[in-house]
Amino acid sequence: MTTEETALVDADLSVATSIEDSRKEARIYEIGYHIIPTVKEENIEKIVGEIRSAIEKDGGSFIAEGAPSLMKLSYAMSAREGDRRVEHDRAYFGWIKFEAGMEIVVALSEMLKKDPSFLRFVIFRTVREDTRAKMKAPTLREVKRTDTIKSAPRRAPTEESAAPVSEVDLEKALQDITTE
Amino acid sequence: MSNNILTQNDIQHVDYKDVDLLRQFINPHGRLVSRRRTGLTAKQQRAVEAAVKRARFMGLLPYVQK
Repeated sequence: MTTEETALVDADLSVATSIEDSRKEARIYEIGYHIIPTVKEENIEKIVGEIRSAIEKDGGSFIAEGAPSLMKLSYAMSAREGDRRVEHDRAYFGWIKFEAGMEIVVALSEMLKKDPSFLRFVIFRTVREDTRAKMKAPTLREVKRTDTIKSAPRRAPTEESAAPVSEVDLEKALQDITTE
Repeated sequence: MSNNILTQNDIQHVDYKDVDLLRQFINPHGRLVSRRRTGLTAKQQRAVEAAVKRARFMGLLPYVQK
């Protein structure tokens, strides 16, 4: 083997090692998943446990988690149940943020594709910090009306209403009402 | 000085689960609002687009609304 050939082989090896390193390098991911609504509530924890064990198996670690809760979907999703397709308009939605290598994510994705309990899932790279927005979107119900009430000019009491009503007038008015 | 929802509320990351926030960037038909109307920076608009698309895929937002 000539010197040039040796250098080429070395270069190939270093490329291979860097690819291997990047596969093992831990990155932050988030998985969001929908579990089909026909699953009993007591079995949900067991199904989520499968995801957790797949992440932990090769040294992955958890950062944050959102417990699955039943929610209405914006559109019906179809899932295979045996040899027929069933449409679901609600599902248990949960999410987990974790740190793991690429090979764990590939294995996890393959595992979830085969599992019929999962209606749909998404895995993507994210950041360690909490990404949920702190602000609360303004809604119509939150519109404050106190300002408008305060700014409205107060009506000055009219002279007519302020004047004391005499006993005689009151008696006369009552008489008129009763005679009618 | 940009004056958009994300900058005003100091939001650095857009999460696909923040449906109430994302609804402000889609029109009544469920389509993404253009950058001209959102007033977002190019980077923010890309983040919002990615989040809306993830939310649609996961059924948190509709693809089309009647």
